Amino acid sequence: MDFQLSEEQQLIIQTVRRFIRDEIRPLEADLDPDAYELPEAEYERLVAMTREMGLYQMEVPVEFGGPGVDIVTRTLVAEELSQHRAGLYDAAYGVFGDSPPAQLYACTPAQREKYLDPFLRGERHAFFGLSEPSGGSDPARAIQTRGVRDGDDWVINGGKLWTSHADTSDFGVLYVRTDPTKGRQGITAFIVDTDTPGFQVARLVQVLRAHYTTELTFTDMRVPHENILGEEGGGFALANDQLARNRIPYAAACTGIAVWSNELAVDWAKQRVTFGEPLANRQAIQWMLVDNEIDIRSGRWAALQAADLSQRGEPFRFESSMAKLLCTEGAGRVIDRCMQIFGGLGMSKDLPLERFYREVRIRRIGEGPSEVQRIVMARDILNVRSGS
Amino acid sequence: MPLRKPWTVWDDSVSSKSIPGAMGVYELADEHQQLLYIGKAGGRSPFGIRGELFRHFSTSERLAAENWTHPRMGEDLPAIAGRARYFRYEVNHQYYSRWIELLTRHNEDYGTLPPANLQDPEQPPRLGRYHWKSEGL
Repeated sequence: MDFQLSEEQQLIIQTVRRFIRDEIRPLEADLDPDAYELPEAEYERLVAMTREMGLYQMEVPVEFGGPGVDIVTRTLVAEELSQHRAGLYDAAYGVFGDSPPAQLYACTPAQREKYLDPFLRGERHAFFGLSEPSGGSDPARAIQTRGVRDGDDWVINGGKLWTSHADTSDFGVLYVRTDPTKGRQGITAFIVDTDTPGFQVARLVQVLRAHYTTELTFTDMRVPHENILGEEGGGFALANDQLARNRIPYAAACTGIAVWSNELAVDWAKQRVTFGEPLANRQAIQWMLVDNEIDIRSGRWAALQAADLSQRGEPFRFESSMAKLLCTEGAGRVIDRCMQIFGGLGMSKDLPLERFYREVRIRRIGEGPSEVQRIVMARDILNVRSGS
Repeated sequence: MPLRKPWTVWDDSVSSKSIPGAMGVYELADEHQQLLYIGKAGGRSPFGIRGELFRHFSTSERLAAENWTHPRMGEDLPAIAGRARYFRYEVNHQYYSRWIELLTRHNEDYGTLPPANLQDPEQPPRLGRYHWKSEGL
């Protein structure tokens, strides 16, 4: 395995790192500590810069008009992009461009013209609706939202929970049970416009972090057959493949906030004097910093290995689950230790640590909780397949 | 969900000790209890909800009598100044998303933000839609 980054990768990483430190972090001094958007003028100015740098929408494949940056490089970049106060969930405040729900790349030419291309131009916004009140980690069984064919339409009834951005989106990708007799083969993905009669945001669900998610209800919502994404009954496979792939940069972003938190803690340990000695001279602090490095590096290498396997087209589900588990849990431990090193200051909104602490806790649940990642890995180890 | 607490009139019986210094959201209304403003006392608010309400309703002189100053006294928005008569608040550590929720609900029900929020230099992020209005509207 070659651990040396290419010149291009090094250049991209240095560029993104400088951008976060010189452009994003200074702006945060004047924003609310829980803010997740920039003032419009600043946003437009920074988007112009990322376009000029050729790094706008770097996740978009070449065939869809993007730069098609590979997943290893995107994993490296994800670790850099999150290194600011809002970075875990709103990396660089979106100035590197939003990514559509990845399943949209399975669209037909007509769907591309109506949904994907306007999204990529920034004209329309989209959400991803999978989890329901009945559960999210086991979509094959938990999806109860029902679609029934009626002529050229499907009539959809049910609801979704934990659906981020549905209230601000123009359309979304919804997973619906279209054949209750076929298990995971009975789930179909639909593109649904949010102004469709019967589509409602029942409530905004307040959570631990500064953003919120939504609860959706669908009442006799008619969706055209042509809005099926991929194959009828092929929704689960479509979701599953992308979920495994998404876990890798999702994991790397957690490492990013751990890296920055640890840098802050190292600086503080060197300058803070207690009982006549800098904190850095105390073995208790030294061991915390060492444990931080161990958590950071083990997470980083696990994410890069998963990305490397994915890029080479080899099986990577075990590795992406391991990366997700190591990075999310490791980052939580790192931030907790950094807050301990900072003492009272670590609890305050003067530093980003308290926001990271709240947000990284969610990451042990989002994109599949740690326990589900362990189930995925155990199946691989024991060579057993889940029931359908 | 909108704030459902009853309105409290601002008069001399309101003391700084009776309003929490915590983070949260608050609403101001005119003498007819028509909503004027949905505000937040965020992580950079020097005295939390207490500070925000006093800067809207009170005077520098009254604060000085309590050995207190607020850096934003006298900065009130035209739609609030001299018109605000009632208040209500909610202590909420997730003040930012709760503030957006309240603004979103108002925007959906009335098609616009409260008058003073339209004048506020701090505009919220892009607000979403519920696709339904509150009962009774």
